Formats: sequence, C-alpha cells, structure tokens
Amino acid sequence: MEVRNIAPLRLHLLFAGLGITFLLIFSWVLFHEEAAEWRTTQARFRQLEGDVKNPHQLAEAASVGGLRQVWLPDLGRIDRCETCHLGIDDPAFAGAPAPFATHPGTWLATHPTGRFGCTPCHDGQGQATDYAAAAHRPQPFVTRPMRPLETIEANCGTCHRALDPTDAPRLAEGRRLIAESGCFGCHEIPGFEGMTFRGPALDSVGYKVRPAWLASWLKDPKSYLAQSKMGNFRLSPDEIGSLQGFLLSQRMQVPLDSTGVDWKNADTANGRALFGELRCVSCHAVNGRGGTMGPELTNIGDKVRRDWLFSYLKDPHRVQADTPMLQYRLNDAQWRDLTAFLLEQYSSADTGAEPPPVTYQDARLLAAGRAVFERRGCSSCHRLAAIKETGRIGPSLAGIADRDPDELPYGGSTVRHTTDNYIFLKVLLPDTLGQPSGMPTFGFSPADAARITLALASIRKSDLPASYVVGRPALVPYRPGGKFGELVMRYRCLSCHTVGGFGGDLSTVPLDRIGSQLQRDYLANYLLNPGAVRVSVEARMPVFHLSPDEAKTIADYVSMVFLDDRFDRYDTKFTSAEARRGQELYGQLGCQACHQLGTKGGYVGPELSTTGARLKPGWIAAWLSTPQTYKPGTLQPDYGLSGADARALTAYLTSLGRSDAAKARGGKTP
Amino acid sequence: MSQTIWTRTLTWFDGVRRSVCRVGWPATDKDRAAAMISSLFLHIHPARVSRHVLKPTYTFALGLISAILFVVLSVTGLALMFYYVPYPAEAYRSMKDLQFVVTFGIVLRNIHRWSAHAMVGVVFLHMCRVFWTGSYKRPREFNWVVGVLLLLLTLGLSFTGYLLPWDQLAFWAITVGTNIAAYAPVVGDQVKFLLLGGHVIGATTLLRFYVLHCVMLPLAMLLLISLHVWRVRKDGLSGAENHASPTEELAGVFPASTKTYGLMAISKRPQASVEARDPNDEVFAWPHLLYRELLIALAVIVVLHVVSLVFMAPLEEMADPTRTPNPAKAPWYFLGLQELVSYSALVGGVVVPTLLALALLILPYLDRGTSGSGRWFAPERRIANTIFTAVAAAFVGLIVIGTFFRGPNWAWVWPWK
Repeated sequence: MEVRNIAPLRLHLLFAGLGITFLLIFSWVLFHEEAAEWRTTQARFRQLEGDVKNPHQLAEAASVGGLRQVWLPDLGRIDRCETCHLGIDDPAFAGAPAPFATHPGTWLATHPTGRFGCTPCHDGQGQATDYAAAAHRPQPFVTRPMRPLETIEANCGTCHRALDPTDAPRLAEGRRLIAESGCFGCHEIPGFEGMTFRGPALDSVGYKVRPAWLASWLKDPKSYLAQSKMGNFRLSPDEIGSLQGFLLSQRMQVPLDSTGVDWKNADTANGRALFGELRCVSCHAVNGRGGTMGPELTNIGDKVRRDWLFSYLKDPHRVQADTPMLQYRLNDAQWRDLTAFLLEQYSSADTGAEPPPVTYQDARLLAAGRAVFERRGCSSCHRLAAIKETGRIGPSLAGIADRDPDELPYGGSTVRHTTDNYIFLKVLLPDTLGQPSGMPTFGFSPADAARITLALASIRKSDLPASYVVGRPALVPYRPGGKFGELVMRYRCLSCHTVGGFGGDLSTVPLDRIGSQLQRDYLANYLLNPGAVRVSVEARMPVFHLSPDEAKTIADYVSMVFLDDRFDRYDTKFTSAEARRGQELYGQLGCQACHQLGTKGGYVGPELSTTGARLKPGWIAAWLSTPQTYKPGTLQPDYGLSGADARALTAYLTSLGRSDAAKARGGKTP
Repeated sequence: MSQTIWTRTLTWFDGVRRSVCRVGWPATDKDRAAAMISSLFLHIHPARVSRHVLKPTYTFALGLISAILFVVLSVTGLALMFYYVPYPAEAYRSMKDLQFVVTFGIVLRNIHRWSAHAMVGVVFLHMCRVFWTGSYKRPREFNWVVGVLLLLLTLGLSFTGYLLPWDQLAFWAITVGTNIAAYAPVVGDQVKFLLLGGHVIGATTLLRFYVLHCVMLPLAMLLLISLHVWRVRKDGLSGAENHASPTEELAGVFPASTKTYGLMAISKRPQASVEARDPNDEVFAWPHLLYRELLIALAVIVVLHVVSLVFMAPLEEMADPTRTPNPAKAPWYFLGLQELVSYSALVGGVVVPTLLALALLILPYLDRGTSGSGRWFAPERRIANTIFTAVAAAFVGLIVIGTFFRGPNWAWVWPWK
C-alpha cells in the first residue's frame, strides 16, 4: 500500500508567500536599475531637444543614450557629468534649464572637456551618475564636493601658477596679497619660491626711532599705521618692554654727522617746496593720499629721530642697502629744511621734544628681548646682524589644500569643517583656533582673507602632469654693470621702471626700447629737468638733481642699448608732400581734441609742439599704427591707418620743434 | 510511417534524458528515496530523517543558512570579480563603477557585503547552538574541530575581503587587524610581513589578500565544508535518538527493520544514530527536508535582497596611508580583541586569541562525558554551558563596546551622544 508522503499545506502556503515576495523584491531591483536618475534625465533631454532643434538638426545630432564619460588617465579621473549635462558644449542649449544648459562663457573653447573633463575645475565626484552622489552639495566621504562659483578660481590656480593669472581676478588678487604681505617670509609657499619680503633692517634702529613710538608700534602696529604690513604679535607688556630695550640697543651704524647743522635757521617753507619737487608722494602717502612703495609719512614726526632722518634722506643706501628709496643730490641746507619740514608738518599734536638717547644696560632685559625676537621669528622679515637667520618659522603650506579637514582645529567656531574655512579663519584670526599660535594677527579684512584663502586653496599636493601646468614665467633680475649700473642702483631706476619685465610698476614707461623711442638729446635734458609730458597727469619723474655727467652717461647708455630694431630701421627721409599730407590728416583725424599744439588743443594727450625733438620717427609711426600693442589700455585711438598715412603723420609730427631743438643744441646739451 | 518516426524521435529524446537523469520525476516515496541516494547533489541527505531534525527550534537551521550564505557569496563574488582590479587606486575605482555604472552592480556588492557579515554571525551562532545542545560529543568530536576551523576560515575570508574596496575603512581596519597579528610572540612580525608582502599595506598586500580571498580560502572552505557535511551525514544529527515518538503518517510504509540505506550498510563503524532510531519516527527527506531547505534558502535570499536595497555597503574615501582616521577600528568581529589590546597588547593580541582558539579546538577531547547530548541546555551540562556562555557573552560584550562605545583615541563615548 502506497501512502502519498506529501508536505503539509502550511509549507505550500509559506512557499507561495516567499515566492511572491521574492518576485516582488526582484522586480523592485529591476525597477531600481531601470529608473536610475540619469535615465530619466536623458529622457527629459530628448524631449527638450525636440523643442530646441529643428528636424534637420535633430537628424544631424548624434543620438544621446547611455552613460557618457571623459577619461583623463593623466589626471586619474573619470568624469561622467556629461551623462546628464548633455547640452554642455552645444550652443543650441544656451538658456536651457539645468542640467542641460550650455556652459557659460568661452571656457570650454580654451578648456575642451575632452582634455580637461569637468571635475579638475569644478570638483565633485566625477564618477557618479546621480545628482547627490556627484556631490553638487557636500556629501559624506567626498573630500572635495563641487566648489561654489565664488571660490572656483582656486581650482584655476592648481594649473595656472603665474602670480597674475588671466581671467581669474580673485585668484590674482589673493596671490598679490600674499606677495605683498610677505607670507612666504615665515611659510614655504609653493609658487612663491625665490621671493623675499623685507621689512626695514634693524641693525641701527636704536638711532632711528623714538622709544615711545616703538613701544606703541610693538603693541599694535595698526595704531600708528592702519595699512601696516606688520601684524599684531599680541605681545604681553613684559615682552614689549624687553623687546623695546633689545631693539633700542641695536646701534651698529652711527648716523651721518649732523652736529654742524644749523637747525635754528631751518626753512620749512623751502622744505615744503622740496617735498613737492622731489615727488615724494609718488611713493609715500600722506593722510591717505600718495604712493604705497615707501612708508607712510603722516605721523613720521612721532616715529623717527631728527638726526637719523637727516642722515637717511642724505644717503638712504648707506643705512639700508636694499631700499627702493631714491638717492637725490641736495646740499645739507636743503636736507635740513626737508627734515625740519617733515618733522614739523607730519607729527601728531602731542609729540614731545626729541627724547635723549637711552642706553640700555640691563643684560637680563636685553636677553629677554632677544629671546622674544628669536621666538617670534622677527628675523623672517627684519635683518639684524646680531641674530642668525633661522629659516622659516611657520609650517610649510605645500599641499595645504589637501589637508584633512577633520584634523584641523577650528576653535569654538561652528563653521563647517572644510580646509577652506580653516585657512580663512587662520588668516583672519590666527589666535582663535583653539591652539596657541605664533602667527601674528595681520588685520586682513574678511574680503582680503577670503582672497588669500582662495589663493592658498589652489596649493594642492603636487601630482599634476607637467603638460597641465601653466607655469610662472621666471623673472631674470636685471643688473647692469659699469657706471650706468652704479647710477641705476643709486637712483633706483628699477624701483619704478621695468627692464625685461623686472622692476617696479610705478612708471608706465618700460625702458626696454626707450632708446628707440626718444631722441638722445631730449632724454639727456629730461633727466636733468624732468617735467610732465602730459599736462593732465600729475605723476611724473622726480627731480634727482643729477650732475650733467650722470645724465650724459645714462642718455648715452640708453640710446646705445635699449633699442628696438623695428623702429630703428625706419626710413626717415620724408618728403615735404608727406609732411603736408600729415598736417591735413592731423586735422581730419581730430588729433587736437586731445593733444595740445602751441596754445590750441586738448589736455588728455601729451603736448606735441616739440615732438620732432623728442621722439624718433620710427617709434612715432609704430605708435600711431598700433598704439594698443605698446601700451595696453591707452586712450590713443587705433585709427587703422595705412602705412602711407602713418608715414605722412610721422613726417608732420617729426617736423614739429626740430628747428628749436637744433638751436638749443648750441652747447646746452650735455 | 509518420507514427513510427514520431515514436522513434520520442524514444531518442527519452534516451538522451535517461543518460542525464537516470530516473524520471519520482512519483512515489520509493522513487524519491531512490533519487536521494542516486543523485550526487541530493545524496548528502539521508533518504529518511528523524522528525526531530525537522523541528526548527532544535537547529534553527544555522548550519544550513551558513552553507546557503557561502553559496550566495561564491556566486556574487564571482560576478564581482568581472569588475574588480586588485590594484590600489583601480580597486577603489571599481567600487565606484559598481555603484554608478555597472548594471545591478551596487545590489551585487551590497548582497556580497551583507552576506559576509551575516555569515560571520551565523557561523558563530551555529557554534553556540552546537555547544548548547552538546552536539560535539562522541562520535562527533572531530566534526566540532572541523567546525572551529571553518569558523576561523570564515573570519579569514571576511578579513581578506575587508581590504578589497581599498577605502579608508578597509585600509585602516586591516592595518589595525594585522597589527594585532603582529603581537604574536616570535613569529608575529614574520606573519605580518608574509601577510602584507611588506612592512606596510600596499599593492602587494592587496594582491595577496585578493588571491587569498578569491582562490585559496574559498577552496579550503569548500573542502572543509564537504568534510563537515559528510560527517554530519555519516553520524546523523545529534539528538535524534532521544526523540522517539510514533507517527501515523509513516506507519506501515516501511516495516521496522534493520535495513539501512546507502553506503552505511557496508560500513564497519557503529551506526548508532542510524540503526538505533525508530523508523516510525522518520519521514522521507524528500519532500519534508528538501522542501524546508528550499524555503529557508528562499527566505535567506529575500532577506538579503531587502537588506541590500535598504542599506548600502559602506564606502569611504579612497585609502590614504597618510591620513589616519581617529579612531581606526578593526573589522567588527575583531573589535573585542582590539578592545583587549587597548588594555594590554599581550593579553588582547596573543594570550586571549591563542587560548580561545586552542580551547575551542580541544574542547571535545576535554569534555568526554556523553550525557546531555542532543538537548538544549541539558541540566547535567550546566557547568560547561555556564562557562561557555560567559566566555561567549564576554566576547560579544567586548565587540559591542569596541563598536559602539569607543570614540577618538579609543576613549569611552556614549553612542547616542
């Protein structure tokens, strides 16, 4: 007898239940895969494409479907952003809604996605194929979520290493601030190698400053000078006292003898006149107006001693060999008048009489002051013969942008923990991050701190292939030799002028081709008695009171060396017809609207009545043809002159003032 | 004529089928019993099993679930190998590819990950069950030893797999884990060097762990599982002899007899569990056992799918040897040891794991008494059960502490704060 050995009914029911559940779950898995975000996004795109494009374009357009990615093996990246950003390089989608819109600007023309992908500029997780995982917003375990546009220039800086990168104004501003503030004095900062930042040398500071001023300066430099580059070191009163003593005992170089100076008869009116004539405000600001190359002078009377000032003005390079300050040739009475004027005019009301020199003898105090000086890294910026240079006191900033944000201290701040936020807080308020910090408070404005943060955030751990790096052009320091070289050093020509890109930016005239631009005789005269070439422009070269010999040396050297063959090879044999045609053109083009000729004309451009004696014809022709080439941003219009017209105008302008110049040459010219 | 061709064709196909499957779909108990014996895949079951075996509250099917998880892990693991590159940055990138571009990739990875964690837990519970029911007693002593080896292999597989995603979690867990191994006296450093292929974790480590995880350990596992199951098959499930009760269902199908099935008939070893049991208490493995096994497999797969759709396998940032997370934690099943190491490297790294492993391995030869086997918490085994339970609870407790109550610098934290 056979009995059916069957499983009980409840097992069948359980099997049915589990089986159905499994089918449901598995369809869920299928649905999950099929309803992936990028698939629905691509479906929306196809709809939009139908609206945006006509049938012909649609037929031409490559059909979009499936995942799209850019593989950048050099950068170790795979960017799948274009899986959803489908119209990114198609101008037809300008103004389309996100994520289909065309990339704004011309960035993709210079940075094609095939070579640069998306995340090298934008950050985020390029491998992801949905909005959240792509880290459009911060995500757990994504170290670098997408950068907001406000700080995206930090990523420009990873490749573009020039100090002044084009099209990245915030980055350029940040790097300028770093260069100006001398952060690399204490920190090693990639991209700023070889740059030095120097505060004044302190070897003889005991002769230079008043004790009361030094104490208040050490307490808070901003109290004397709001724009001070020196930060507030948050010194205790004891530290200030000992440091003051230590510094005032630094008296290596005795100032020039001024005992014979008749201070009682100082003529401050003459001092004021000299102050104007020497163009001091080109470099020194007074009451917030003037240049920034030299120290501010508003309260200089509170700061320095009279004898030191007299000595310094008379021979600045003796005290400070590397100052950009110019050397003028004046006599002692003139220096006395200028000194007296400065001390009287530019001091606060409560400045007392000149304090007597103090001799600090307390060895314990001096040792304590020295310890403070060393501990706080003062020698990073200030030279002091008594102290050995100890190298950079701050930590290296190499790879700072890739520091682990969770390991950085944020003090009590409740900001989101990102490296950017840390750098910002550190730059802005170095002492508030919950750790004792030797970094001084520089008093940057939040806006400036943000720019500096942006520039520092571009300093990644360097593993970028060389083919992506746009480097910083190496500046070759220009150091001429010989007598000319001596004069260039003494009068600090390169404080304002550049040669081969090296030098200061105060003057708008680079010297590289000046010999092909200016007539030698005109230059020699100009050096002796510089005037404003443009009536309307106040800035002009100061009067150095050069000797005629010195002027001759400079003019000769410049006319021989600083030449540009493009102008020098110009055929200068003009016909009278050309000059007449030029005169007609002068009227037709409306030159007189800006240029003065005799007593008629405008004030914007240079006066032209002596052009023939001033400029060389080759230069005039070149300038008239393409002024923007030689001076970007100049107001001189580019008329698109033909070669013949430019030549005619040159002929006319060259004829102006020639006869006068010929007459004047009768012995006056050195 | 056409009739003949048709018949011949059918006959030909039937011949092919018979060459593959010797018997047809078994319609009777006899046929089914025959199938159980003649099929390679089915004959790891006896033809008849004690009703006691089917009682879910005796074994909780923990051994079966472990085996099912091993199969799931093998299948998903093989699929994952199509996408995985065992080289540092590429390994991490393959995780991202699985997540973002591979069809079903993330489900595969999730199932593999959660199955692996589940297997560690289930194998451990299986061991507890075997202890609490005293099932390691004669004649099953050696199978307990095999079981302990399987537990160690499971941990080894999980540990080697832990490194493969090459994220911060993986990197630092393996760093901590291998550092614990290095505490072993004399050979510790050598073992660590051999394991890592160097002094620190790098590309060689990843390759070694990959080969161990995908080839060597699974093969060893397969071998030992076969042995383990084979011996269960030979010795029968413990406790069946204690649960004799007549059933109407089977009455008369097979007269009580001394007949045995299969190879046991010619075995010279005592067949206590097979021969002594009451046939009236037995049911046919097909369908009673097979059906239940199928249901459990289905349930396990359903649960794994649900878990894998709801919970994502963790993946942190790419491994960075220069950035140590604080705290760096070993895989969770070693956190008990790490907790002990935080008090004493010698105790946590050497003494406790060595003693535990040794004690487990020789346990059946120390506890020689035969009474109390086959029942949960037999009163005569109170002392043994108490000691084992205390040790197991302490181990689990330490793991819980290490997992949830330890924060930066291994300081005590409350998980809800």
